[in-house]
Amino acid sequence: MKIELEGLSKRIPGTGDFISLDTAKCNNCERCLVICIMNLWRKKEGKVYIVEDYQSKCLECAACFQVCDAGAISFNYPSGGTGIVIEKG
Amino acid sequence: MNTYDIIIVGGGPGGSVAAKTAAEKGLNTIFFERGRKPGEKNSSGCGLGPRMFRDFPEMMKDLTPDKCPSMRAGTASRNYFVNKEDIVAGYIMARPTESVSYEPAKSWITMNVYRSEFDPWIAEFATNAGAELKASTLIVDLLKEDGKVSGVIDDKGEKYKAPIIIGADGVVSTVAQKSGLRSKWTQKQVTLTFQYDFQAPSEKIDDIMGDETLAVWWGSNFPASYQVFFNDGFHQGLGNWMTWWDKNPLYYLNRVINLKYYQRLLKILEAKPREVQAHLLPWLDYPYNTHTNGVILIGDAGGFPCPLEAEGIYPAMVTGKIAAEVAAEAYSNEDYSKDSLKKFDEEWKKTSIGEEFEAGSELWNIWKALPFSPKENMSWFVPMIMEILGGIFDWSQPHAKRVKQIVSHVKSYMPKATPFIMKNVFPLVAKVFEDDLDKIMDPKKIMKVLPKLLDMLPQKKKRRGDLEK
Repeated sequence: MKIELEGLSKRIPGTGDFISLDTAKCNNCERCLVICIMNLWRKKEGKVYIVEDYQSKCLECAACFQVCDAGAISFNYPSGGTGIVIEKG
Repeated sequence: MNTYDIIIVGGGPGGSVAAKTAAEKGLNTIFFERGRKPGEKNSSGCGLGPRMFRDFPEMMKDLTPDKCPSMRAGTASRNYFVNKEDIVAGYIMARPTESVSYEPAKSWITMNVYRSEFDPWIAEFATNAGAELKASTLIVDLLKEDGKVSGVIDDKGEKYKAPIIIGADGVVSTVAQKSGLRSKWTQKQVTLTFQYDFQAPSEKIDDIMGDETLAVWWGSNFPASYQVFFNDGFHQGLGNWMTWWDKNPLYYLNRVINLKYYQRLLKILEAKPREVQAHLLPWLDYPYNTHTNGVILIGDAGGFPCPLEAEGIYPAMVTGKIAAEVAAEAYSNEDYSKDSLKKFDEEWKKTSIGEEFEAGSELWNIWKALPFSPKENMSWFVPMIMEILGGIFDWSQPHAKRVKQIVSHVKSYMPKATPFIMKNVFPLVAKVFEDDLDKIMDPKKIMKVLPKLLDMLPQKKKRRGDLEK
């Protein structure tokens, strides 16, 4: 059984940018690629990046921020009243 | 400028109890919630234990299904043991045992409620007490004057002033960061926990689970996975420390979902995936750096979840209440110094939370070594326990021979089990009984007991058949 994650979370748009990567600090350890259950962190040509539409997929768990020992990922929550809405948490 | 006596950042159960307590103490109180309403951003197990009802009776007696329709209370738990081959090798259903002393705990173990209902319900106690709730508001920084914390600032640039701030803003706490108490947890102090919510018809859950309210799936290929039943659905989730994951964490939860046994359960429950949720969960052996000048951290922000199984709501409510009481005293003395707020630590240490953390590192260690180390330890623990529980169900041999086979097989696990017991179980036993670890493991003491045990074993082997002749 494969559970499709699409459609299993609700969001209010207008979050603004709330995750960013300081590429100068990133040491390519790839822990963010492993830890993100939504697979929002990727690597291309040796460079780590977060997918462009992460705001409409992120579960706001902040695991990427926490796991980054290089301190390259900053995580600020979406603006008040926007982002994920957990109905059955 | 908006001026208050106290500001609480966070509208979860901890923030709401803090706000309620502060307002009842006569403080001009405001509390902030980044969601449109409390609970909108929160997910958890989520079972409420009897001690919440003992310690917050006035509030909890008001928790009824008409206020929180998702509520399901239950009397029993189930433990599934899953072996290396991903087969459910056995399970135990358990009801409250004879030694349970608190009367209500004899009839139910947890009350399960979705946070989208529970958190707004509890926040209402705070607003009824006169606290102001400002929702849809993200606090992004602390205001400081002459190096002292003097308020907060929201994401629209609005400023709010108060001489004391309670950080009830969860695991990644802005208040902790901006006050300098903590930039982030270390990887071993926090777990990533995530879950599916499944919808299932209420009557199906009643018919199939009865009054079983939760289950733990103890796996050899995945960290222990919890299942919590609500009125019309259930959570299935798991977690582990940040350092543990070697592939997308969902792989391990999907492994639970794809157990043949689990698939059958989903089918008969007519269950369908409804939501996916993920959060970080602090899991410490002992809370530290809980306060500084003008700031107190409570609940997840302060690292208070239970060191054994990370229950978070009750510790958040207890620490929220204490923090507000300490803040009210600081307010009347006009002393918000770190030294004055250390009373917070003194007070929570006296509660059942403090008692829990007294054995914190031993509890933490055992959890890390067993359910959170599926491949290393659960892989032998499951067959060993099942040998004991289920070994006798074999009709291919005489029963006495079976018993011998079972005992000899259990003994074969001892090279793995003994170091585990010495390293994790004895220290916990020593801590719980406040005994000296060396004394418990004293070879002399063991030798004193051992010969007596050996005496009980038959010395000569006599065949009963021969005697009768």
